[in-house]
Amino acid sequence: MSGRPVLEVEGLHVWFELDGGRELHAVRGVDLALEGGERLGLVGESGCGKTTTILAVMGLLPPNASVAGRVLLDGEDVLARGERSARPHRWRDVAMVFQGAMNAFNPVQRIGDQIAEPMELHGIAEGKQARRRAAELLERVGIPPARASRYPHEFSGGMRQRAAIAMALACNPKVLLADEPTTALDVMVQAQILEVLTALADDFRLAVVLVTHDLPVVAQVCSRAAVMYAGEIVETGPVDALYHEPRHPYTRLLYAATPELHGAGELASIPGTPPRLDRPMAGCPFRPRCDSAFAPCAEVHPPLDAVGAGRAAACHLNTAAREVPA
Amino acid sequence: MTGADYVIKRTVFALMTVLVAVTLNFVLFRAAPGDATSSLRACRNCTPEFREALHRELGLDKPKLEQYWIYIGDLAQGDLGLSFVSRQPVWDELRQPILNTLPMVGLGYVIAMVLGVVVGVVAAWRRGTFLDWGGVSTSLFFYAMPQQWFGLMLLILFAGSLPASGIADPFIEFTDPSWWEVVVDRLEHMILPSATLGLVLFGQYALIVRSSMLEALGEDYVMTARAKGLSSFGIVRRHALRTSLLPIVTLAALTFGFVIGGDILVEAVFSYPGIGLATYEAVFDRDYPILQGSFLLLTLSVIIANFAADLLYFRLDPRITA
Amino acid sequence: MTTVPAPELLTREPDDFEGPRRRRHVVWSVIRTQPQAAIGALVLLAVVVVAVLAPWIAPYGEREKVGDVFEPPSSEHWLGLDDAGIDMLTLMLHGARVSLVVGFAAALVTMLIGGMIGLLAGYFGGKTDVVLMRLTDYFLVIPDIPLMLVAAAVWGRSLTNIILIIGVIYWTTTARVVRAQVKSVRERVYVKRARSLGAGHTRVLVRHVLPQVAPLLVAITVLSVAVAIFAETAIAFLGLGDPTLTSWGKLIENAFSRSAISVDAWWAVVPPGLAVVVVVLACTMLGRALEDSLNPRLRVGHLSVRHFRLRGAGGGEAR
Repeated sequence: MSGRPVLEVEGLHVWFELDGGRELHAVRGVDLALEGGERLGLVGESGCGKTTTILAVMGLLPPNASVAGRVLLDGEDVLARGERSARPHRWRDVAMVFQGAMNAFNPVQRIGDQIAEPMELHGIAEGKQARRRAAELLERVGIPPARASRYPHEFSGGMRQRAAIAMALACNPKVLLADEPTTALDVMVQAQILEVLTALADDFRLAVVLVTHDLPVVAQVCSRAAVMYAGEIVETGPVDALYHEPRHPYTRLLYAATPELHGAGELASIPGTPPRLDRPMAGCPFRPRCDSAFAPCAEVHPPLDAVGAGRAAACHLNTAAREVPA
Repeated sequence: MTGADYVIKRTVFALMTVLVAVTLNFVLFRAAPGDATSSLRACRNCTPEFREALHRELGLDKPKLEQYWIYIGDLAQGDLGLSFVSRQPVWDELRQPILNTLPMVGLGYVIAMVLGVVVGVVAAWRRGTFLDWGGVSTSLFFYAMPQQWFGLMLLILFAGSLPASGIADPFIEFTDPSWWEVVVDRLEHMILPSATLGLVLFGQYALIVRSSMLEALGEDYVMTARAKGLSSFGIVRRHALRTSLLPIVTLAALTFGFVIGGDILVEAVFSYPGIGLATYEAVFDRDYPILQGSFLLLTLSVIIANFAADLLYFRLDPRITA
Repeated sequence: MTTVPAPELLTREPDDFEGPRRRRHVVWSVIRTQPQAAIGALVLLAVVVVAVLAPWIAPYGEREKVGDVFEPPSSEHWLGLDDAGIDMLTLMLHGARVSLVVGFAAALVTMLIGGMIGLLAGYFGGKTDVVLMRLTDYFLVIPDIPLMLVAAAVWGRSLTNIILIIGVIYWTTTARVVRAQVKSVRERVYVKRARSLGAGHTRVLVRHVLPQVAPLLVAITVLSVAVAIFAETAIAFLGLGDPTLTSWGKLIENAFSRSAISVDAWWAVVPPGLAVVVVVLACTMLGRALEDSLNPRLRVGHLSVRHFRLRGAGGGEAR
């Protein structure tokens, strides 16, 4: 069943104003589209703009940020009027599981109340009914419903992350954004959390954007992935295809730098560092670190072009291969 | 740590502090150069015989350790000694002043808390705006004023419209007042000393409330609350306020010592017949038993305030049981 | 001043390995870059200069009767005369000397006691820490002004005594802040490395820990100056100041006890108090600015009056 995407991001740009009038162009023209039930992995090194991208979708950028582009939820532009148009959609239509759910809960309020809070706010359920629903949600993520009256510090890290997922589902959202939901958890717990996340995403027909630098996690959860580098999507396509036949050197190096089994934490690094985003850039942003750069890379910025069914990549090698047969 | 452990720990600490305070009170007065009688006004030119008799009466002729035990024993029976000046038991001399002070300091606290919380919260919430700037500057200004001087300023400003000294109109009894008139009269006498105490304290509170609010607003759960779609007022009310008001409980207790200090100065300025004025006058008269007694009572009250805050905090903050 | 850093910037500082070098000029750079620190420092400097030069710039003698009792301000006497017909401006200038001497000297005492206790407690930890912090807790509970009163009443009222009393009462905050800082410094890589290389405790403390703590210690001490000046006015007001010296606190007390209020001689009361306010504000502004930049825990706020801005779609393509 494929219809209109529930989440569309079109030409999203985000800038941060820095001290001394400098400006950091953190997200540079990102496009995304997700249908209900679809799960997309957004991967890349830290600082590449993936978290900024999903924060922009929720309209949760800091005040020194400015945004251009459109974020459509069911065809409605969320960012059209800034904070005012973004707020009604939050948690109702898009919910989020934050990085390190350790601190995502208010330490002096009961878990159940915090899950019920958005329900009352968005008129989903009130009072007792909301509490009951919160307990049910906890049960669905594998937490005994009686625990709803406990405080966050009485939960283990893994349980808190489960509770955070339950909280994200409080208002039956269409889109779930998950920002590194399993970092800082040990491998066993990580696997369980991902299982819960996938199962619920299927049950609720959620469109999921999973932000992570952990490629095996993407392989476990997502069908599609988008690779970000220096604020741009450099390659996107089905996870299998990206793994077996990457069409961008960065994707290839990312996979090469990943240990076979997941859980090894931080990516083994690709030589060099990403370019500074507060300066103008010429040519391909990945060129200085690329092992297959050639003539046009220094001058021409490669556009994100289709490279097969449901795939796109931003690399001169793809066009070069077609135009100049090797 | 369980709840019981916590309560036991705080109780032991409070009791230990009482012991330290009692001992300090003893040592401070006995370790003085010369002894208590040498600066006694009644004894400035007295005969050696009289001085000796006084020594015996005060027990100063005995060894220090024995004096200490006698002192502890007396204290245990609630005996704080006799005033040098009035020859009355210290406790009788101080009881009424304490009762006079309580409502005045209480009103000061109310002024400080209400203003401090409002200004602190608004300043943090509207961080970086003119409101923030104005709130911080006002708080800093009040905070930077010596209390006795601020009291004098209020005295200059309101000398005509509000009573400048005492606790009640000495002539009010002759007018056969209703209970209401008595209350109004007492309040009128309280307002300047309370305002002096409260406004200086307000400066401190507002600054601390502001920074604890800012800290709370930087927490991840505030981001979560925003993501949930709460309005900024909702976030302040439901999340930031509650967590940032917790420190105020401790703050009220921790500043109690400061309030007591301020109380002495303020009561001196407004001749308000409370424990502060009694202490002030005891300094002038070199009435050591009164000074010793009031110092002990004031210290004990601070210890009790701290202990109460510990227990209250325990009730309010679920994390403490962890 | 409110800088909201962009998330995940590419500015990871390897501060763990750099060691003491980094913070050396921090006090100076804060004064240079933060206006409120600069104002505080300038005002403080100005008051110190005036105080030092007081005997030369004071228009009249400190005990010279130059007119009537409580003569109001005039062109000869800018701040009027006090209850003995002495020029208030002259008294103010001389008062600055005593108040500042008490403020700085007592703050130095708090720095020595509090710094030492905080350093030892934080560095050695364990039993030393428990004992020293318990001591600090006790001190924190005892109400300051009553204790000063008792101490001053019993021990006598010379300037040295007053300085010592204030210093011995107000070291607790310094000790606590220093301890916390030392505890975190102790865990840093270069300190651990120095210790594993066999450096003695004294050497590690002096060469590696102290330089890291020093700027914070300066900040706290600047704040202590304000507290000490306050304390002096309180002692003086309660009639326990050094009777031979003129301080701002003494001037306030003088005006009060000689009933300047009832004769409406505001000029005898307002200036000394305002002078205290100015100095205390200067110390507070400088101290807080230093403290904030050294303990930057209030940088990020997730709630702001302003929100992110929208740009036209064209803005993006231009770059």
